[in-house]
Amino acid sequence: MFRKRKCIGVRKRMENSTGKAPNTPIALEALRERIDNMEDAEVIEYQTQNNKIFVLIFIGTLIDKARLNEAVIEPLRLCNYENISACISVSKITDITTLEEAEKKLMLGAILLFDTIENQWCSVDLKDPTGRGIETSETETILYGAKDSFSENLEQNITLIRRRLPLTALKSEKFTVGSLTETKIVLMYIEGLTNPDFISIAREKIKSIDFDQILDSSQLAAFMEDHYHSVFPQFQHTDRPDVCAYALGVGKLTILVDNTPFALNAPINFFHLFQSPEDYINRWIVASFLRIIRYLSFMLSLLMIPLYVALTTHHYQMIPLQILFVLVETRSKLPLTPFWESFIMLVTLEVIKEASLRMPTKSGQTLGVIGGIVVGQAAVEAGFASQVLIVLVGISAIASFLVPNYLMTKATTLIQFMLLILASYLGVMGIFMGIILLFVHLNSLTSLKQPYFTPVSPFYGKDWLDLFIRGPLHWMKTRPEALHPLQKWRYSRRR
Amino acid sequence: MKHKHTKILFVIFVNLILLSGCSPIAEKNLIEEIAPVTFWSIQKGEDEKYRMSTLIPPLVKEHKRLLTVQVDLLKEGMKGFNLKYYRELKVGQLRMLLISEEIAKEGINPLIDTILTDPDISKRLYLAVVRGNFDEYINNQLKMQEDLDYYLYRMFKHYENQGKLTIINLHQFMKTLHSPAHSPVVPVFEASDENFQYLGTGIFSNDKLIETTNNMEEQIYQLIGNDHFLKYFAIRDLSIVLGHVKANSQLNIDKSYSELNLNVQLNGRLDEIARKHNILTSDELSRFESEIESYLEKQTTQFIKKLQENKVDPLQFRKYTLKPFSKPLDEKEWLNRWELMKLKVDYDLKIQPLTDIKN
Amino acid sequence: MLYFAIIMPVFLIYPYMIWMIIIVGILSQISIFMLSKWFNSMYASKGYEGFVEIFGERMVRLLAIIGIGFIFLKVIVIILGYIEVVRHFIFPSVNTNWMLLFILLICWYVASLGMAITIRFIVIAFLCTAWMLLLLLKLPFHSFASIHDLFPLIPYEWTMKSWKGVLFIWSAFSGPEYLVLLAPWFNKREKILKYMTIGNAFTIFEYLFIFIASLLFFGSHYLGENKLPVMEMIRYLQSPVFERIDMILISVYLFHFVFAISIFLLLFYGATRITLKKSKDQTTRLGFALSCAIFFICIMMSNELLWKKATNQNILLELEIWAGALTYLFVPLLLFISLKRKGRS
Repeated sequence: MFRKRKCIGVRKRMENSTGKAPNTPIALEALRERIDNMEDAEVIEYQTQNNKIFVLIFIGTLIDKARLNEAVIEPLRLCNYENISACISVSKITDITTLEEAEKKLMLGAILLFDTIENQWCSVDLKDPTGRGIETSETETILYGAKDSFSENLEQNITLIRRRLPLTALKSEKFTVGSLTETKIVLMYIEGLTNPDFISIAREKIKSIDFDQILDSSQLAAFMEDHYHSVFPQFQHTDRPDVCAYALGVGKLTILVDNTPFALNAPINFFHLFQSPEDYINRWIVASFLRIIRYLSFMLSLLMIPLYVALTTHHYQMIPLQILFVLVETRSKLPLTPFWESFIMLVTLEVIKEASLRMPTKSGQTLGVIGGIVVGQAAVEAGFASQVLIVLVGISAIASFLVPNYLMTKATTLIQFMLLILASYLGVMGIFMGIILLFVHLNSLTSLKQPYFTPVSPFYGKDWLDLFIRGPLHWMKTRPEALHPLQKWRYSRRR
Repeated sequence: MKHKHTKILFVIFVNLILLSGCSPIAEKNLIEEIAPVTFWSIQKGEDEKYRMSTLIPPLVKEHKRLLTVQVDLLKEGMKGFNLKYYRELKVGQLRMLLISEEIAKEGINPLIDTILTDPDISKRLYLAVVRGNFDEYINNQLKMQEDLDYYLYRMFKHYENQGKLTIINLHQFMKTLHSPAHSPVVPVFEASDENFQYLGTGIFSNDKLIETTNNMEEQIYQLIGNDHFLKYFAIRDLSIVLGHVKANSQLNIDKSYSELNLNVQLNGRLDEIARKHNILTSDELSRFESEIESYLEKQTTQFIKKLQENKVDPLQFRKYTLKPFSKPLDEKEWLNRWELMKLKVDYDLKIQPLTDIKN
Repeated sequence: MLYFAIIMPVFLIYPYMIWMIIIVGILSQISIFMLSKWFNSMYASKGYEGFVEIFGERMVRLLAIIGIGFIFLKVIVIILGYIEVVRHFIFPSVNTNWMLLFILLICWYVASLGMAITIRFIVIAFLCTAWMLLLLLKLPFHSFASIHDLFPLIPYEWTMKSWKGVLFIWSAFSGPEYLVLLAPWFNKREKILKYMTIGNAFTIFEYLFIFIASLLFFGSHYLGENKLPVMEMIRYLQSPVFERIDMILISVYLFHFVFAISIFLLLFYGATRITLKKSKDQTTRLGFALSCAIFFICIMMSNELLWKKATNQNILLELEIWAGALTYLFVPLLLFISLKRKGRS
């Protein structure tokens, strides 16, 4: 309590790391250094009619380029006055003296104007005001919280992230992959925070890609993943800029691909697949409850049908007497064994799911209803399946949708089939053998060479606050230890 | 990545072997092909040693019938059932074992041992002794009540750990059977053509049924030996019914093992008085109390005396002589002392009248 | 040790063994102290090279051969013991050799991922199984359990059987000596005494807890009649959804066995490489698969020839009790003494 305040925050440490004391007078070279490694930062030297040389510095993705031409460049070109500010037809022009001020302005969407002769700096606010055709996310919908999402336009996607993290330390490196498609890729990270190992691994991986067509971020992910045989996604696909900004802020890196609305976040762990952006919006108790429900429903969707098969084929002893009566009664007239019965029903369910996904939205809903009610009901009446199984299949199907990550949902189905086969051979024992294999597999996976099962194994106790529960934000004093960020503390002032 | 392919091939290979029916498990428990048995009733056979019966199918909706076989060995009976019925009978869901009184008097150890060795049978199996012909009762009752076996099981489950009735499962029976000088107890039911009713607690000496408690003894046993609660405590001799009686008994055996002090505190309500009495005043109430107390003291002393004569100890008095740092008496010595032990029973009754009392 | 935790109450029986568990636990702390001295020395981080520096190469190879025998014995007992539990409670008609094959296949997969990942698996195994202890909390509150089942607490006769019980407890505490072989993979060797002390305390607590719970549940007289008392206890529990949760719990317990056997598989592979003078060569998948196959065949043979025939006196189990006790006594002692001598010279 009475210890000295360690008054070092992200921003300040970053400044310290670059060796600059606060309130440095502005200088062109220093500024150039700050915006190093930023693909969208532009420095333009310009000569006016009366041979004055101006330097324009701006972040291309943050400003309105049309207005830049119209309000700054055109007038400057035609300018004859001595004073620059007289030339420009923009309402607000501010003089700047310190580097920090300049940086802040720059990142909030202003252009910096440097008069080389007068040695005078000023900034012109040219923030791009629009959200051009920005739509809400359809894959990760949430009730409260930001509704914007990435689009196919790479620059715009960078803008969306930059607006959330106005830092010069937020670097964006540009790469081009694909011999035919020449796809532009931008690797974003916060310098001085993100572990440099991740960055160098990602750079190497991207550089080593030699494939003709990279049309989507998931194709890129396929080439960057450490274990491409696994069913588990090792990159987080998201079209939400707030998710990306959060990921960058805790020490991950983001990869944006041109012409795809999905960004990749890495390195992730298995548990990230269960975290929804809404977790950080809800109150912490509610969010924790919802998160636990998500894990539970994941287990349910994995285990319910295999358990049904195991219990009805091998362990009638485990079933409570009342349910046993119902089961024996309904199963006694069915032609198929529990394994084939559930196998067929699960395949049918997958067919219905896939079909309703491919249909136009409105008829998709009808299909779902028809598939659910009619097929299920008819199967029971025709004597193909027992009511108990239909109920279980229904519950496990709904439960599988609770996992926020759609790629994970598909993985669940495959694991479910594996467990189903094991359950039919070895009952409960088989299921748990399957689960052991699953855990062993997860334990051996890596994402950007970082362990995939991480806060659990290897064990990082502090990260458990944001694992199965979402602890109060006040308690999450440090960034996830598993990511080894260069700056541990989230608070800039800490007692 | 050559080894990855071998792994996949290997998995496919194992699956093929298993799918072709080469399962490592010989026994089939497919639910539609078995008939899980919920109870066995074992009675004395005419020519053979046992007559076993059970209800099949133990399910809803199919017509039920009672299946009976005469056998010498218990597991032989199991086999006998299977020869008689198209589904295989399985004992994994066996919930009740009803043993006839004649067999219980001869000793039930061989029966219990067979049951214990079967890993399928749960230790939560309820034990009961039946007086009379249970089969006949079932046969008569089946026409009226289909799921008789299930309701019977629910009854056992309901009264478990509640007081009121003695309910014993296999594990509890075995634990007391193996504790030196403790006598196991098992509930005794009476079955006739129309009726199946609870009689009292059967007290065993080792594995033989010695005697069954009568009405009054049973109530005393419930209060001081089994969960200490009775909902209705009818004292017929005094024409009084006490309700919601909770007992708190304290037991003291002196160091020379010659005297047993039993203090029982009872708390209850006065539910019914079936004799002529004055308006309830507090004087009247305390008169009642002392009357009941002395009555109970007498009855309890009688009951325990009877136990001493029979050399049984269902109330497990011996365990109160065990101390952390003193050598326990061995079984024989204890039994000798137990027979000769003097009794001192003291009841302390507190009744709450149902109506307001006048002063 | 895994299997020993299941059968422990049968060997102890008398309530006064509670004190013995505590005393032996404290003695085991001495062993752990000696081991931690080794971990803090410079030799530990070098792994094989460290051992060669201390003992010389010939001696290390000799020790490796002896170690193979101990590893075999330990694995045979725990895996066959577990399979027997499975056969008794889950699949009475299962062919044990198939079961053995399945478990070893899983272990092979785990171990083939490498030592670092296998060691990391312990966290998952621990988290998946530790909660099972909490279930036993319910047992002391059954109406038939009374505090009198724990009396008398001091021994009035001390027989050969009691000595056997003490030996068994000591053997049950064994296991940390194998950590010596894993030393190069630990990165926080300075704090290892603290971690191992916590582990030891947890083991004492676990054994005490299991033993007291089983005393309360069975009473000391009935306890001896049961073959696998801990499992019987778990079986008595009933969850509202599944009537026989023992089947699930036994299957979950497999986590630990898979972990332990995988580690021992890797150790076995390493020891074979040392004895064959190949410790400097690159490890190969074929070599590892081969050593797994040898493992499987040996365990299967001992299952057929020794374990199945055992009735009352299980020779393998007896041997393992002695072997565990001996290794836990002598390995720390040997390392400690040789460290001291090396330090002096």
